[in-house]
Amino acid sequence: MSHDNMTIHLRVWRQSGPNAKGNFEQYTLDTVNPHMSFLEMLDVLNERLTKEGQVPVEFDHDCREGICGSCGVVINGTAHGPQQRTASCQLHMRHYKDGDAITIEPWRAKAFPIVRDLVVDRTAFDRIQEAGGYVSVKTGSAPDAHAVPIGKEVADEAFDYAACIGCGACVAACPNASASLFTAAKISQLALLPQGQPERKRRVVAMVDQMKVEGFGDCSNHGECEAVCPKGISIAGIAKMRREYFKAILTGK
Amino acid sequence: MSQVSESKILKFYRSQTGRKFITGVTGIGLMGFLVVHLAGNLGFFIGGDAVNAYTAKLHSLGPLVLIVEIGLIAIVLFHAILGISIAQEKKRARPEGYALHVSGGAPSRMSPASKSMIWTGIVLLLFIVLHVWQFRFGPHYDTMLPGGVEPVRDMYKVVVDVFADPVWVAIYMGVMVLLGFHLRHGFWSAFQSIGAMSSRLSNTMYAAALVFAVLIALGFFVLPLYLHMVH
Amino acid sequence: MSKFDARIPAGPISEKWTRFKQNMKLVNPANKRKHTIIVVGTGLAGAAAAASLAELGYNVKAFCIQDSARRAHSIAAQGGINAAKNYAGDGDSIYRLFYDTVKGGDYRAREANVYRLAETSVDIIDQCVAQGVPFAREYGGLLDNRSFGGAQLSRTFYARGQTGQQLLLGAYGALNKTINAGQVQMYARHEILDVVVIDGKARGIICRNLVTGEYERHSGSAVLLCTGGYGNVFYLSTNAKNSNVTAAWKAYKKGALFGNPCFTQIHPTCIPVSGDYQSKLTLMSESLRNDGRVWVPKKKEDCQKHPNQISEEDRDYFLERRYPSFGNLVPRDVASRNAKYVCDEGRGVGETGLAVYLDFADSIKRLGKHTIEERYGNLFEMYERITGENPYEVPMRIYPAVHYTMGGLWVDYSLMTTVPGLFALGEANFSDHGANRLGASALMQGLADGYFVAPYTVTDYIASNPLETINESHPAFDEAEKESSERIQKLLNIKGKKTVLEYHRELGKIMWDQVGMSRNKVGLEQAIKDIQALREDFWKNVYVPGEANTMNKSLEFANRVADFLELGELMARDALYREESCGGHFREEYQTEDGEALRNDEDYAYVSMWEYKGDHVEPDLHKESLVFENVKLTQRSYK
Repeated sequence: MSHDNMTIHLRVWRQSGPNAKGNFEQYTLDTVNPHMSFLEMLDVLNERLTKEGQVPVEFDHDCREGICGSCGVVINGTAHGPQQRTASCQLHMRHYKDGDAITIEPWRAKAFPIVRDLVVDRTAFDRIQEAGGYVSVKTGSAPDAHAVPIGKEVADEAFDYAACIGCGACVAACPNASASLFTAAKISQLALLPQGQPERKRRVVAMVDQMKVEGFGDCSNHGECEAVCPKGISIAGIAKMRREYFKAILTGK
Repeated sequence: MSQVSESKILKFYRSQTGRKFITGVTGIGLMGFLVVHLAGNLGFFIGGDAVNAYTAKLHSLGPLVLIVEIGLIAIVLFHAILGISIAQEKKRARPEGYALHVSGGAPSRMSPASKSMIWTGIVLLLFIVLHVWQFRFGPHYDTMLPGGVEPVRDMYKVVVDVFADPVWVAIYMGVMVLLGFHLRHGFWSAFQSIGAMSSRLSNTMYAAALVFAVLIALGFFVLPLYLHMVH
Repeated sequence: MSKFDARIPAGPISEKWTRFKQNMKLVNPANKRKHTIIVVGTGLAGAAAAASLAELGYNVKAFCIQDSARRAHSIAAQGGINAAKNYAGDGDSIYRLFYDTVKGGDYRAREANVYRLAETSVDIIDQCVAQGVPFAREYGGLLDNRSFGGAQLSRTFYARGQTGQQLLLGAYGALNKTINAGQVQMYARHEILDVVVIDGKARGIICRNLVTGEYERHSGSAVLLCTGGYGNVFYLSTNAKNSNVTAAWKAYKKGALFGNPCFTQIHPTCIPVSGDYQSKLTLMSESLRNDGRVWVPKKKEDCQKHPNQISEEDRDYFLERRYPSFGNLVPRDVASRNAKYVCDEGRGVGETGLAVYLDFADSIKRLGKHTIEERYGNLFEMYERITGENPYEVPMRIYPAVHYTMGGLWVDYSLMTTVPGLFALGEANFSDHGANRLGASALMQGLADGYFVAPYTVTDYIASNPLETINESHPAFDEAEKESSERIQKLLNIKGKKTVLEYHRELGKIMWDQVGMSRNKVGLEQAIKDIQALREDFWKNVYVPGEANTMNKSLEFANRVADFLELGELMARDALYREESCGGHFREEYQTEDGEALRNDEDYAYVSMWEYKGDHVEPDLHKESLVFENVKLTQRSYK
């Protein structure tokens, strides 16, 4: 383990507002500790900018444990950076070496307009979920939890899809800016579980339609989304979503 | 019982998922045709009579050939129009691109093949027009099959004549390389698009796509060269 | 006796909640939609309450500071959720869960509330399963349970190491359903700056749009604060970076009493601090202590050696040595304190000397690497991602970190603060965990409050009180907005020399050193002085970059730190007044001969309730006496 501080050359996207023109700014940090997380490195940059009377770089972050899905930037061309199954907040600087140059960009998609610097508006994801990503069950009206047994394999597979943190890396990495993996994850989770059956057809049609309304692109099966997903959600879910959709269109009301 | 209404078909056609389904199904159809076409091409390695007998046999099927031909044109058109539309959608969905875009690595299926589908596709579309014009609507020479009563079209001569020119040989061979690229992503992608994929199948199908792409492309690739060399 | 009444329904404890529901007043369905209810925060408590109230027919406005309701910090809870289902058939019951929770809280929680929590716990699991929450299951298809600290039963339901996430996404789904139906209006990236009180009742909020910087006014018939805990007063904690006390603190300043502010939970198994740049701490599930052995070197000079080179006889397995019967599985507060002791003795390990080893070598030898991987694989991976060390080969290094705050806004049985119409749910209130929270109980409380308590008690409040429509141009809104905007402007205008981060770190250090794992009179008195001085300096010398009318996270943080600088003092004051040791509150002066916490039930079996009296005036202390009719008070022993 190295304790030596590294020098890192940053190229960061700066954009003062949604309609402003953005550009890259260069910064050099010479006190980057290998044990720092990527976001802590940005903290160091912001602290310096503040001390110099400049405006710090805005980026979304919250739990810094890789579960809330707030953070996410494109690091040297890859959403969440080089380490797989790792959100930006859990990437550590030990993956870089002294003198490295790092380009940091926001998620780019029409459906994710830039708010400021590296912060984007991901409310399109919320609207896709609002379209049907739930089981309609009124509070207090549920039957006993053991009324319907669910096989372990089914529950585990549903969990794999439910693990989505809604960070948007799938959209960011997709050459087409498609939201298919995000949408498929919720659809697949609920289609697998008995609780999701009554609304199964309505749900898939509403959510798939909403993706298009929001301006996400088509999926061309590049599979880049799975590679950058911090939870490693499988694109088999996208195939499942498509099956669900065909079934719903063919047999739904 | 539910009815598939017209509006539902339209909705399906307009939806992102529906469009991918149609490109997938048409793609599978076209791949099926490629296999048949390649099998037919084997005649060229046997000789002129085998080729001409095969074309004559096909023509004897009469209106059925026309139906298949119209069907193939429709499939190609659907496949191409939707493919182009999906590519345009992609530009709309990301108006401002990245300074850098680097793959996250396996299990990503992103490759030069997947990223060039629209370009290989457009070249293949133009190629199909050229190919049909050169051969289906090309010069008509009569020949007699051994033991035949009526003259049949000498398809063999048409093809051999074209590939006498090294430029055509090069063009055909070049396009076949692009076909290989198109199939390398297209084979796997088609099944993913129609939902016929699971996490267990995925790796197998992706590997199968490579084998399929290489075999088909190679099969078509060697013929112009062979004909050029032997004549 | 306090002049504030907890309004606990009469009758035996097992019937109180039923009686409340039977006797509560109702609101006619047609009238419900005339009432707007403001829900601040969309974690488990907030999302559950907003969705449930909207389903009942109220007009709900929900607010969160994150860019989406799904990101509230409930999402980070790992371990599980307790419920008295007795699916394991091991003799669990509502009474046992109630008993364990009161005992685990070291007898500083209110019996009636805890009993209701245990009662509603069973409904929570039903609700969540119906929503499609993929809990862990057995091969037979039934729900799997595991055991957790402080309980001798298997009553914890879980979804791998992401139970909080799955439960929150369930509640988020319920919220989305009501948003889609037009019953809830969602305001993401909005931060509450003040509570508007009119005629003694909470009637609205002032909030700031965090994208545009605009101030907004929202009026309603009731305001529910579901804004979580205030662990970030310590700067470093396991809380999310944006977690803050501002909403609760404004409520306190508007007349809501603050309950037990000094009760803080320090979690023993966190990844240690690695340097000054550290921004937050990461918890490792306490389940690790089932198979990991905690130790430090016996000799100081061994501390910088590679752990695998320290021989068995030179290792001090201090928890096993001091607590032979519970060993590594002593409760959180005991484990944390003992780690601090050995580090204070100079036997801590790692670069900073503030860490102890959690060693799996024996378990790997005994059970095989495969079993350990199956049990803790994802935790080991997370540890390696953060530290760059492989815990299969090198012992983990762990150290305690601030994790949860049991204190919060004082609420009555209805979860209503001392300001009528102002409710506090989940971690934001003080009510259920006493001086120490048991593992897997936070999720239970958040959902119980949100799904099953607030919908009834808010209805009862609305039905019992005349609430004429309030116009948002009411002078009280003018005044609250003016105060809020002036404060924001003031922060920007100071243009001093020190950054917000520097102040926050300094505050954190004072809090951790003096108001942390172990506290004493001298230190607490010093802390009060230091915090006052730091606060004064902050308002003279802080530098906040940027502007008020754009997205400006530096400004958001400055505003939150300003409130932490006031809260910290109240916590120290509360800790100073509580001259006993109980749960997470350990006063060095009050310990047994063996160094264990010494409770004083005679004088301190009460909830401290602090009343704000002005910025430069000491707050008043009120007391809610805790009466224990259903559990017998005993001294905890884990020897």
